[in-house]
Amino acid sequence: MTSFLTAFFSGTAQGAIYALVSLGLVLVWRGAGVVNFAQMGQAMFTTYIASQLIQHGYSYWSAFIVALVCGAALGAIVDLGLMRPLTSRKNSKLLNSQSMRTTIPVIASLGILGVLKALAGIFWAGEERGFPSPVAPNAIKIGQTNLAITGFDLFVIGVVFLTLVLTTIFFTRTGMGLAMRASALNPEVTRLSGIKVGSVRTLGWAISGTASSLAGLLVTPRTNLSPNTLDLLLIVGFTAAVVGGLSSLMGCVLGGFILGYVISFVNVYSAPENVFIAILIFLLLALFIRPQGILGSKEVRRV
Amino acid sequence: MSKGIKPVRLKYKVIGGRSTLLSVALFLFFILLSKQFDAYNQSQLTNIATLLIAVFSITLLTGASGQISLGQGAIMAVGGYGSALLVTRLGLSMWLAFVLAIFISALFGLFLGLAAARLSGPYLAGTTLVMALAIPSIAVRFESFFSGDVGLSVDYGTPPTWLSNLLGEISIEQWSLYVVLPFTAIALFAVLNLSNTRAGRTWRAVRDNEVSAALAGINIGRTKVVVFVCASALAGLSGALYGFRGLVAPSVYPTDLSLTLLTAAVIGGLRSVGGAIFGTFAIVFLPDLIEKITKNFNVPETIGNYLPSLTIGILLLLTVILNPRGAAGALEHIRHRRKH
Repeated sequence: MTSFLTAFFSGTAQGAIYALVSLGLVLVWRGAGVVNFAQMGQAMFTTYIASQLIQHGYSYWSAFIVALVCGAALGAIVDLGLMRPLTSRKNSKLLNSQSMRTTIPVIASLGILGVLKALAGIFWAGEERGFPSPVAPNAIKIGQTNLAITGFDLFVIGVVFLTLVLTTIFFTRTGMGLAMRASALNPEVTRLSGIKVGSVRTLGWAISGTASSLAGLLVTPRTNLSPNTLDLLLIVGFTAAVVGGLSSLMGCVLGGFILGYVISFVNVYSAPENVFIAILIFLLLALFIRPQGILGSKEVRRV
Repeated sequence: MSKGIKPVRLKYKVIGGRSTLLSVALFLFFILLSKQFDAYNQSQLTNIATLLIAVFSITLLTGASGQISLGQGAIMAVGGYGSALLVTRLGLSMWLAFVLAIFISALFGLFLGLAAARLSGPYLAGTTLVMALAIPSIAVRFESFFSGDVGLSVDYGTPPTWLSNLLGEISIEQWSLYVVLPFTAIALFAVLNLSNTRAGRTWRAVRDNEVSAALAGINIGRTKVVVFVCASALAGLSGALYGFRGLVAPSVYPTDLSLTLLTAAVIGGLRSVGGAIFGTFAIVFLPDLIEKITKNFNVPETIGNYLPSLTIGILLLLTVILNPRGAAGALEHIRHRRKH
């Protein structure tokens, strides 16, 4: 029973982080039609910035805020500096082909990932370092009995819950959020109704950058920080997004939690080295049984 | 009929001709180049000849048929483990193991292709990336069979006496090159023929527009599976040759290997065989070149270690933004401009 509870609570906390990552992926996918494989590279970079600030004596929370702002800026830079010139290129022979239009941005995002990793290596010597958490990672005690949940887990769940509520309010109650949804649905019509689709798209990249930066800050106290630690997070986030439906924001959050439980239960009841295989099998099953995802709408092929 | 329009004759390229010539030329070029090199650069040349086969697989997969794979390194691992197990467990000869590795990885590619035919673009990229991470971990999971992180040690063996008698003393580095090169030449021959014949035209049609390809009577799903089988066969062969440099282990086929191969193909030009050759040379020799340059400038080691990957990353980004068709595309552009 205790191992079940441990798996359940750590699954919830991990799932919350995966939900953030897949939210970041889906935001960019809906807005720009690109799966950003550099996303966790951006998060790794901003987490290093936060870690550097903390080492220089700044408080955790000021570093936290700076990292989130840097995440937003990095996301916007990637869109403005790379993705927009890339997709607006009309007369390229290569990009005229249907399949290459989706392939080339993927390659570009891998290029960003490589550059960010190399830069992190140059600036911070690629060393593995710990990252502090504002809450002690000990199990919470009531009287003498240890609960299966740690204070840090609660912190993570709380922060992610808050983020999800804010995101929901943003997308349902604010004009900017509605504009983003509209331009994801139909860019042409949205442009005709006077919304600057390009800026809205950049905003999507910025929010995605913030979300993944937050995920980086929340996961590194447990995994430590090195240029490669967040790669796994990208894989899991992608799988979560596919499981939930790449086109659905609710779906990808759901997918994140499902993946959190799957990985956590495999970790507790099986062995940690089975995690990768479990992810691969889960992804393949999801693709075969329900390729559009749990909450995704059936994809309409545009001719 | 006075001066009517001549009926268009489709040119059927004779299998052989030009591609045989080019393959032989590549073979001789590598041999001649290796004569100029010291032992270290000879082994780098062997790496190029080996990785070239895997880059060709991306030329077919992404360049010719428009499917992306971030997991070619994992397929290389399949070929590597297949051949290494055949040699160490069953005591087969190395050459037979290489040939069988082609079939093993082609079979793997068949399964992969059946899954991939349903996917496109980013779905395919993500799934193959997950595969690139998961496959090496299988070797750790089933440790008793694949010997885990330690890996299987295999090597190219020693040159047969008749060859030494013929060519004089043959060093280990030279022998490795002689083992790999015939396969590279055959791979080049196969890729050239595949892209210039009916199969290649079908693949390009699917790449450029699936709907119109389907209307022209092409079975999209089957075409995609066939491409995956061909590409996996090439990648698996490359992986087998790559492993026989000394060790077949998860660390030999990391995720970065898959990305390096893709980078080589993109920098050289995804759609061009010559571009693949150029890109592979660039990827292998660029780090050495940068090291030579930084030595003169007294760059601290921490920066020097990461300069190659930074340069290659920036090169990839510049290629994608400024000239998505790579070096080969740029060359064609210049030639085109001269004509007019």
